[in-house]
Amino acid sequence: MTVAPAPPAPRLAGVRATTSLSLLGALIVWAALLGPLIALLVHLSPGSVVSSLRQPGALQPLVVSVLASLVALGAILLLGTPLAYLLARGRLPFTRLWEIGVILPLLTPPLVIGLLLIFMVGPATPIGAALSHLNLTASDTFFALVLAEVYEAVPYYVLGAEAAFAAVEPDLEQAAALLGDGRWRTWRQVTLPLAAPGLAMALAVTWARAMGAFGAVLIIAYHPFGLPMQIWTTLQESGLSSALPFALVLLVVALPVPVGAYIWSSRARRRF
Amino acid sequence: MLAADFEVGRRDFTVRMEIRVEPGERLAVLGPSGAGKTTFLEAVAGLVPITAGEIWLDRRRLSSGRHPGSDIPVGRRGVGLLRQNPGLFPHLTVLDNIRYPPGATAETAFATASRMGLGTLLQARPKGLSGGEAQRVALCRTLQSEVRLLCLDEPFSSLDRPLGLELLELVRQELQDSGTAALLVTHQLQEAQAFADRVAVLDRGSLLQIGDPRELVLRPKTAVVAQLVGYRGWLRRRDQVMAIHPDRVRPAGSADESGALSGRVVGMKPEGARIDVELESVGDWLGRFHCFFDEPPQLGSRRRFQVDAAPIFPGPGPALD
Repeated sequence: MTVAPAPPAPRLAGVRATTSLSLLGALIVWAALLGPLIALLVHLSPGSVVSSLRQPGALQPLVVSVLASLVALGAILLLGTPLAYLLARGRLPFTRLWEIGVILPLLTPPLVIGLLLIFMVGPATPIGAALSHLNLTASDTFFALVLAEVYEAVPYYVLGAEAAFAAVEPDLEQAAALLGDGRWRTWRQVTLPLAAPGLAMALAVTWARAMGAFGAVLIIAYHPFGLPMQIWTTLQESGLSSALPFALVLLVVALPVPVGAYIWSSRARRRF
Repeated sequence: MLAADFEVGRRDFTVRMEIRVEPGERLAVLGPSGAGKTTFLEAVAGLVPITAGEIWLDRRRLSSGRHPGSDIPVGRRGVGLLRQNPGLFPHLTVLDNIRYPPGATAETAFATASRMGLGTLLQARPKGLSGGEAQRVALCRTLQSEVRLLCLDEPFSSLDRPLGLELLELVRQELQDSGTAALLVTHQLQEAQAFADRVAVLDRGSLLQIGDPRELVLRPKTAVVAQLVGYRGWLRRRDQVMAIHPDRVRPAGSADESGALSGRVVGMKPEGARIDVELESVGDWLGRFHCFFDEPPQLGSRRRFQVDAAPIFPGPGPALD
């Protein structure tokens, strides 16, 4: 018996049209998102990059930014991880209040964070006075730069890490405990490896935020010059074309970590 | 030996248990959903604190309602727990899962795994395992920790019945060989009978009866126990109810007028090779009961039946049926 091929149902045709439209939309968004990067590469000549970076002291801001971001990342990791874990497991009283505290720096414009930091830890405040006993000043110092970066980046880590920990089934932690594990071994052998892909993503985003922190930095840590400040001042003093090579440097340094973490984390997720 | 005499407060009711499990003994706790079976096991495993009484295992006090601070923590109690969710660690291979417990060695892990037919799966990840395989891995893993009492919380209830019974038999063998005691929580009489030396019946947190698996079916002490062990016929007379088990009632021979019970066929459905026939009783005792026939009887026909010592309870009996 042969069956005549049925004409495509109108409903199916509609579905196809919708699919094509969504695909087109996605493509436009994707191209638009990559647009600035493409524009940057189009407007840069290799010669201008080399000559800009060859100037004496041109790489100093890069070193400052990388060092400050590493310290900030270390501090965020150390302080944020236990908080994220406790939030994920609901072990803190008034969880919502804690979460609001974490989200607040995310909702506050970075410039405002910078201003408020002056009122909180500036040299004239009690905290500033306490810091000065430790030979630290939270204004125009490396310490101030780290502080500003921590405030701008920490919510990204805590929220990401909280989601990563929440995705680890509590049943698995209980299974480990039943098999004779103490809390620490359970955390190290079960929770951490299972949360690792999510933690890596959170860290990568945090790294990018810390490297690119500008608003709060502008207020409390104009000096020492990090890369974003370098870009800003070069733009002010010598114009767009001189600032672009530093923008490229910032991207080259800040981007590979998140992209690498993304690739690793999606591979690791597929394994479990 | 497990000696447990304790209470755990729950939102709906208090679970009260007084139970002993001899070394190497297998005890099943039978009860409907929400009877407090899991709470009981979790208290023994140390996952929920008890509110009164004590739990002892081999001369160690595991839990105390009066001194909860001195409770032995989960995982140090010598109590293993297998649940419906096998809880395998997805980032580890089967072999690494099995040798996960602190102190487990690769050799013993390997030996147990091959004994349970997991030899070819050792390098696989849990993601690729079937439900039965995952439960076998979980069992191997639990046996690697020093378990004196294995608690089974309906671990095979999500598997199909024959596979579940097969795995239960595997656990029974393993426990028998090692002389380990076990507590099985289940709502299926068949599982309890296949696995345990003794069966305890639990309902709404209270222990209703405990005894030999067959004894429980032959002589249930209350109507609730009777219902749980498979009595499906309830005949009422004044303020008493007679419980009829479908396996313990037979059609009397046509010439035999000595049958104790008379009933009219009101419904039937096949069950296995037999016919499960529903009958409306005729006589002093009123109600419906079931009997297995080899051939379908005529609907509406009246028959006489022989009943083996049907228990009689005060009160109206269960509302069902």
